[in-house]
Amino acid sequence: MKKYLIFLVSVIVLGVVLNFFMNSYIQAVFISFMINAIMALSLNFITGLADQFSLGQAGLMAIGAYTSAVLNKEFFNNDWTMIPIGVLAGAFMAAGAGYLISLPSFRLKGDYLAIVTLGMAEIVRVVLLNWNHVGGPRGYNAITKFPEFYFSFGFAVLLLTFTFMTMYRLKFSWFGRNLWAINEDDIAAEVMGLNVAKTKRRAFVISSFFAGLGGGFYSHHLGYISPGSFGFIISVQILIVAVLGGLGSLSGSIVAALILTFLPEALRSVQTGSLDLRMIIYPILLIVMMIVRPQGLFGRKEISLSHFGLTKFKARGSNE
Amino acid sequence: MQEFLQHTLNGLSFGSIYALVALGYTMVYGILSMINFAHSEIYMMGAFVTFYMARFMGMETPSPINFTLGVLAGALGAGIIGYFVEKFAYKPLRNSPKMNVLITAIGVSILFQFGGQIIFGADPKRFPNLIEDEVLFYIAEIPVHLIDILIYVVSFVSLGILSFIIYRTQPGRAMRAVSTRPDMTPLMGINNNKIISTTFIIGSALAGVAAVLVSIKYPKIDPMMGVKIGTSSFVAAVFGGIGSLHGAVIGGFLLGVGEYYLIGYGASTYKDALSFLILIIVLLYKPTGLFGTTRKEKI
Repeated sequence: MKKYLIFLVSVIVLGVVLNFFMNSYIQAVFISFMINAIMALSLNFITGLADQFSLGQAGLMAIGAYTSAVLNKEFFNNDWTMIPIGVLAGAFMAAGAGYLISLPSFRLKGDYLAIVTLGMAEIVRVVLLNWNHVGGPRGYNAITKFPEFYFSFGFAVLLLTFTFMTMYRLKFSWFGRNLWAINEDDIAAEVMGLNVAKTKRRAFVISSFFAGLGGGFYSHHLGYISPGSFGFIISVQILIVAVLGGLGSLSGSIVAALILTFLPEALRSVQTGSLDLRMIIYPILLIVMMIVRPQGLFGRKEISLSHFGLTKFKARGSNE
Repeated sequence: MQEFLQHTLNGLSFGSIYALVALGYTMVYGILSMINFAHSEIYMMGAFVTFYMARFMGMETPSPINFTLGVLAGALGAGIIGYFVEKFAYKPLRNSPKMNVLITAIGVSILFQFGGQIIFGADPKRFPNLIEDEVLFYIAEIPVHLIDILIYVVSFVSLGILSFIIYRTQPGRAMRAVSTRPDMTPLMGINNNKIISTTFIIGSALAGVAAVLVSIKYPKIDPMMGVKIGTSSFVAAVFGGIGSLHGAVIGGFLLGVGEYYLIGYGASTYKDALSFLILIIVLLYKPTGLFGTTRKEKI
């Protein structure tokens, strides 16, 4: 009970500090950190836990974002109180799309899922580009936002907590152990009587659901989306966050999202002209990480409050 | 009918380009079982090497010698870049899980794209006219351009050289051996690392040739030019059966012609999605592609 209390109090303190003592720029960066964290978690669930490489998170994000935005504008008359319903609908839509993609993908082993998901994201992008009703290449703008920062913040925290807790519970459930078995050796898992294809498919649908959730909120955070905001590069950025935190470590993804959202903002003053320093630093980081420390910051381990001496709970990691 | 013939000719000329690039994908996959995402960027670098060479050596006037030198420079430059990419990014990961190599390949690809935008500039550059284009003859009133004929000729010469290397020489035999049983080849006195490097150099050189040919036909080059051709060629390689050389060539031609029919008869805005749609359908019904073989997995 104590740790939930600590969490709640720290969220409220953070919210109050951000709301009253920080400018809107820092507030926006904070929200985008939480969106990045949700996206990285959604990728980490399929790639880190089940070892199935997906490169299409941006496409699923686009499905969530467009569903939520269109729903809110066309059916709910831009009513901001209906945003959560739109976001949830976007998540379900993305989960449905994820199910369709998973049908062909898991008949094959190896890198094909990466290619199929990449192709799916590209198809989604091209369809959106050609769909005039949602703006085509011009994008979809004037999407309803939350009127006050604390609503936005509260909703983001709620989504992130929901995502994290669901995945955390799943990671240490029988389902998570199945995924773990597939990750280690899928032939052995199959021999043990595990339906490998079905388990991977479920994991992918769950991952898609949360990608859609993140995308739905993204559209209401920015108020403007276009097919260009969901290109391949976005999938790569999500991948970098998940890899830096450690594939398989959910709390690692959140820490990495924190680092990789605030660091580029801090480096913004260093940039000159149109040179986007991030796009040079990110790939170098990725290559060096893979050679020097492929397990990322945390490997498969989770950070626990016990690391800070706050509670008696034991850290749950891979090797205990 | 005339229109149809025109699309077929265009498609075949682009198809031979796809075939050249697809061979690089399929060779690397055959020998390392990895998708070399950076291949499309090696293609792009091939065009830029020729661009800068032509500029600094003053070879921007159209002449057959400049054309030959340009193609060779593209092949050589791309080959060298491919060699270094393999050496610095992929070799340290020879024994790591496949996913790590794939992530590294994506990293290399992004690095080249955005590094290229910083070094070369993001705006498209005009590729020098290395050979004077003229209409050679007419087939059923369709003009046949010199550049298209050159694309066919150079592609077929390259394919001939490749098949000679692979099937008639000792390194080629070693390559085939490494792609079949990489664990046994060291016992036969083959240096796996050397063979893998050779494969990368040959595959990259083919991409460099393709890049120069495309840049002469469509004289606009920019650091993102590899992305579209790269994805289409990759799909061609999977379509033909990844790991199979013949498959890559035939897949390249089929995809090239198919894309041009699609552009020719409407639906051109969906062109980018088409190749992926083909890919997904292929994976659904014939995952090994047209000429691929399934390897039984041993436990």
